[in-house]
Amino acid sequence: MKQFEELIAPHLDAAYNLARWLTGNDSAARDVVQESALRAFRFLQRFADGNARAWFLAIVRNESYTWLKASAGRHWVAIEDDIGEHEGALSHSQTPELLAIHTENVALLQQALSALPPAYREVIVLKELEDLPYKDIALVADIPMGTVMSRLARARAMLKIELLKLHDHE
Amino acid sequence: MNELDCPVCRVRLQGYVDQELDPALAADVSAHLVLCRECARVCEEVKALKVSVKRHAAYYPAPAALATRIFAPEAPAIGLMERWRKWLAPAFSATTLALAAMLYIATPDGEQPLMDEAVSSHVRSLMGEHLNDVVSSDRHTVKPWFAGKLDFSPPVVDYTAQGFVLLGGRLDYLQHQTIAALSYGRAKHIINVFILPTPEADKPQQTQSIRGFNVVSWQAKHMRYVLVSDVEKGELQTLGQLIQN
Repeated sequence: MKQFEELIAPHLDAAYNLARWLTGNDSAARDVVQESALRAFRFLQRFADGNARAWFLAIVRNESYTWLKASAGRHWVAIEDDIGEHEGALSHSQTPELLAIHTENVALLQQALSALPPAYREVIVLKELEDLPYKDIALVADIPMGTVMSRLARARAMLKIELLKLHDHE
Repeated sequence: MNELDCPVCRVRLQGYVDQELDPALAADVSAHLVLCRECARVCEEVKALKVSVKRHAAYYPAPAALATRIFAPEAPAIGLMERWRKWLAPAFSATTLALAAMLYIATPDGEQPLMDEAVSSHVRSLMGEHLNDVVSSDRHTVKPWFAGKLDFSPPVVDYTAQGFVLLGGRLDYLQHQTIAALSYGRAKHIINVFILPTPEADKPQQTQSIRGFNVVSWQAKHMRYVLVSDVEKGELQTLGQLIQN
């Protein structure tokens, strides 16, 4: 129990933050993290290498997705990492863009990030809010190391578009 | 050397901005950025976006109650039971009820939950950034801070001379009431002193070990004191003696 607590306690905030961003609600995040801790506890023996954070976050991510799938009415967006197809989206060339990106509007940013499909939202949360290195993001998001960059490219491009959309609506 | 085309650059840009590229690749990207205004603009956007997200996206720390639920000694076992209960609900309710009744009778005065709660609160106070609401080694700052926040007045004394430095105080919540928690530093260890009123009679100092922490407690003049720390038992008892005198 002590070993478990030492391993998991330091990453509880990161776990909750990820679960909260993925599920979008507090009670689901609590359930997800609790269930994840239970799993981590049960599979403690299987945990061998040193990266407890990535290991635990990977469990939290899986549990979050299980919750998302179970909760009806959520639409699932296919994941395409092929950035080429979305070139158009990436190369707007008006200047108000930087204005929208440089938003000081907390609600706007919150809304834009929440609007991203989970697979893109999670890489941004893991990179910007948890400051995870790419190799850990690959472990947590269960994607090849090489995909992390293209996933982030797409996620950031999408976030920019969301911000512009919301900015225009304001 | 610089054969990077724009679509590839837009992807590598991410690693460039996140400082994840090896030097050779990073050099390719920066060379491309000098020549290609469009990619340079995207690069600025990515940087700006990073700043906006870091600065404004909500960070959700785990609620304190969650840590308590997860790390309480029986937590994982209960979690397991909850899953079984889905199909063993009736039988389980009965057993649980019987067990609860037994525990209720067997526990003399509900002291153990307090100690457990105190240990959890101690762990939490070290885990988060919430050790102290009022940070001061001056008891004339700490003691008045509690006035108006509690319906009792906790004794606040600094024992720096004896090696226990008063770090500050905070409000905490144990046994369904708001209580005073003082923190003392002993070398690099933190000691939490929980003080709450009790209607019960005086009780001498006793020492126990819960989840690897030493716990010293006593009751005097309708106040209950619980000291929790990872310092040696003897040292914790010494602080206990100091407060008691």
